[in-house]
Amino acid sequence: MLQLPGIYAENIHRWLPELLYYSLTTLNIAWASFVLAVLIGLVFALLRTSRSQLLRAVAVGYIEVARGLPIVVVLYIVYYVPPQLMPGLDWRWLNTYLGAVLGLGIHGGAILAEVFRSGIEALHKGQMEAALTLGMTPAKAMAYIILPQALRIVLPPVANYAIGLLKDTSLCSLIGANELMNDAKSIAFAEYQPMAVFVLAAGIYFVMSYPLSLGVRYMEARMNLGR
Amino acid sequence: MEPKPVATGFFEVLDQKGWHFLTSLLGGLPETVSVAVGSLLFALVVGLVIALMRLSRWRLLRFPAVAYVEFFRGTPALVQLFVIYFGFPDIGYQPSPFQVAIVGLGLNAAAYLSEIYRAGIEAIHRGQMEAALSLGMTPMRAMRYIVLPQAIRTMLPPITNISIVLLKDTALIFTVGVVEIMAIARQQVTDSLQSHVIYLMAGAIYLCMTIPMARVAARLERAKRAWQ
Repeated sequence: MLQLPGIYAENIHRWLPELLYYSLTTLNIAWASFVLAVLIGLVFALLRTSRSQLLRAVAVGYIEVARGLPIVVVLYIVYYVPPQLMPGLDWRWLNTYLGAVLGLGIHGGAILAEVFRSGIEALHKGQMEAALTLGMTPAKAMAYIILPQALRIVLPPVANYAIGLLKDTSLCSLIGANELMNDAKSIAFAEYQPMAVFVLAAGIYFVMSYPLSLGVRYMEARMNLGR
Repeated sequence: MEPKPVATGFFEVLDQKGWHFLTSLLGGLPETVSVAVGSLLFALVVGLVIALMRLSRWRLLRFPAVAYVEFFRGTPALVQLFVIYFGFPDIGYQPSPFQVAIVGLGLNAAAYLSEIYRAGIEAIHRGQMEAALSLGMTPMRAMRYIVLPQAIRTMLPPITNISIVLLKDTALIFTVGVVEIMAIARQQVTDSLQSHVIYLMAGAIYLCMTIPMARVAARLERAKRAWQ
């Protein structure tokens, strides 16, 4: 028979508020790096589809490198490398929180650049031309013809990326960002209750990410209706 | 604390200690690769079982499969590794770091793989299964000889992508005590304080593996599209 020595779930009332407090930091990191990744992704998707070969090469280089590296390595490089590479500058602004957001944003930017590119390329040029021929202004054509079609292609993978990102914030604990995972670690080891605390943390991550994935499924189902 | 008089310029350090760092980091390569391969094999098997359970007619089999997939896809791999590594001793079993890495990453990837299997199997037309059954094959044989061989073609590109993800996820397993590339990188940084050379070098080693794999995945994807 398995013994279950000392899994004190009754301590939940002490752990849960603290873990929930730090999951706000998790959400903050997630959404800040999401915004950064969308911005970087848009810029590099445009570069990637530009006519200049040089710009395309730059974009491909960035995308391949940032996607090919494990996120932990990106975080370590972003947080530890620049201060040592350029010791003359003032690096006090680069705290663990910003390092986390920059690292996740750089990694996500590469993923989203490819997503946005597939959205841009899937649109036939003829759509824009047809809309203009029908007398629409370019802005109107964009709003009523191009964007609705592009969003249908782009939105599901972006939402899936956001779910992945929420879970990837747990990696920021490895550079010392004080979020849910880091707090779970400190409680678990301070109280010798790793099983209970980490399962609780897993539960909190699940509660945060599951509604998102249900949302994605609903969205995909609705979008397929129109086909 | 007095700063030690060590070389700090990037190229200076690279010149003096680059070879030493490179050989030490490559010392972790066997661990990285064996955990990636081991967890992929583990996940290929577990994922297939989960996928078949999920496609089963019996709710009793379907429900645990769905719960498994939702749980493992809904929580971070790092937490899963920590539950196994630090949590299991609480219930009386102490797994080795290597076991934790293969089982942890494998169980995680199995959840994603089962969805790939499921999509691949469902993409094969129903008529194929019916034809096989009407020829007198058992469902197992029909799955084994008719449906799966065809499904593998469509599943190969996403499976390659999963193996890339697994290779990159091995960078997490230093947290459970496996001495792979990242663990050695961290150790070398602690010893020498040359984080710039070491972490960039570690990154380059990962890129040497992941970029060619991504090329292969893209080629398989193109071949699949041409075939369809």
